[in-house]
Amino acid sequence: MSESPATTRTAMIEMIKVGKEFPPNVTALADISVSIASGEMFFLIGRSGAGKTTLLKLLCNMERPSNGLIEVAGMNIHQVTGNKLAKLRQKVGVAYQDFRLLTDRTVAENIAISMEVSYKKPQIIRARVRSLLAQLQLEDKHDMLTGDLSRGEQQRVALARAVANSPALILVDEPTGNLDATSTAQVMELLARCSNSGATIVIATHDEALYRHSSNRVMKLHNGKLDSLTRGDEL
Amino acid sequence: MNFWLSVIRQTGRNLRQTWATQFMTCLTVSLSVLMFSFFYLIYINILSAGNKVSDDLRLIVYLDEEPGPQLQEQLRLKITQFDQVQEVKFISKAEAYSRFTEQLGDNRDVLTDMPTDFLPASIEVVPLKNLRSLNQVKLFAEYLATIPGSQKVQYGQKWVERFYYFTQLLSIVVLLSGTLLILTATFMVASTIRLTIFGRQEELELLKLVGATNNYIRTPFLLEGIFQGLMGSFLGLTALYTLFQWTTGHFSGAGFLDLFTFTFFPSEIIVTIVLLSIILCTAGSYTSMQKFLRI
Repeated sequence: MSESPATTRTAMIEMIKVGKEFPPNVTALADISVSIASGEMFFLIGRSGAGKTTLLKLLCNMERPSNGLIEVAGMNIHQVTGNKLAKLRQKVGVAYQDFRLLTDRTVAENIAISMEVSYKKPQIIRARVRSLLAQLQLEDKHDMLTGDLSRGEQQRVALARAVANSPALILVDEPTGNLDATSTAQVMELLARCSNSGATIVIATHDEALYRHSSNRVMKLHNGKLDSLTRGDEL
Repeated sequence: MNFWLSVIRQTGRNLRQTWATQFMTCLTVSLSVLMFSFFYLIYINILSAGNKVSDDLRLIVYLDEEPGPQLQEQLRLKITQFDQVQEVKFISKAEAYSRFTEQLGDNRDVLTDMPTDFLPASIEVVPLKNLRSLNQVKLFAEYLATIPGSQKVQYGQKWVERFYYFTQLLSIVVLLSGTLLILTATFMVASTIRLTIFGRQEELELLKLVGATNNYIRTPFLLEGIFQGLMGSFLGLTALYTLFQWTTGHFSGAGFLDLFTFTFFPSEIIVTIVLLSIILCTAGSYTSMQKFLRI
């Protein structure tokens, strides 16, 4: 098992003995302890139902852990409430598995939401939206309703929204599930750029090609338990 | 972009998207305001008319015999023992006769064969303006009836009683319509906002997830409440003013409305109605939002 980068860099995420149970007695996660450093790109793998999405939901405070401690940027996110929680969430970009797009709004409006809540200037928002759409080759979809897009396009818009506000932590659930090879490469380039600019990225995926030959750490979950934690090129 | 610019944009977007529901709510609020202010306007005008009429209120005590100067002084003292009065005036038999002939005008011939002292002497008592309530007037009349030598006391009892019960009834109507206004406006705005919240549940949940503060989510809805209250009261009061102008234009100068000057609300009452409407609508909006934000 590789040495934790958290020992050399500041930890963005600290998870200690984290567990999650759903009623009546389904154990989704058990005894997960891991430290993820600032600026690290971290992969979560495992079969369907292994607990990847649950782990991401715990990290973005959509779910509360049944036990254990989760700290993001030094804060116990499940004890933070009100405006502090809102500020923390502005620093966390999430691309959800089900996209969570507003299908009656345009692509540009969907991406802009994450920047509007932190009161960015309209001209900055417009420029950032255009830049992201160009990087994902979606320029011509700017004014289209997201409900009219294909699954692959919706997935890229969801990712664009997650990274738009330049968050310190980006959580991505199956980012390439509906994408062809070219689009997958574009998505990974965008995430790599975010990582290079200092963002911590956690990607839950089934796609081996994304991590197989990389030096990034990969955590494998099996039935909600930590199965292995190693570098991608050591797998 | 600052907070206010951002929430005003949100509010504008929401108003555009849900204009039909917003319009219906605005209409309901304006009807509630119209209903309440209509009765209230009638109420304050009746009260003002009542004040004018009660300025002329006087109690007449008919006496067995005409009192001499000394007895007059004693009676005056006796009357003022009950309460301070504005005026006590003794009417002699001759004065009563003279007044009566004046009232008869051209028909005064009917009195030709009558003696000039057939009418009783009386005392006219003008109570103070603060002797307003029916009970007080009644008690005063009963007291005057106990004065030695008093035959009968008259003060337009039936009229005073009718007027008193009419204003009482009107007070109840105003109170009921006021309560209805409060309930209707608050309920309607709360329902509209709740419907809007249901329609935008996905968006509001997403806003929470991307880090919108509760104030960022709540303020556009509160602004909608303020807008509803302002527009609703404006429309309601404008409709009432139009109705008022039409009524005074068509009915002034003749009949019932000529008895008193019909006036519209003074500016303080208009401001109070508008503010009250805004407060109620904002409260309706606030309670709906609180339920959502607690989820």
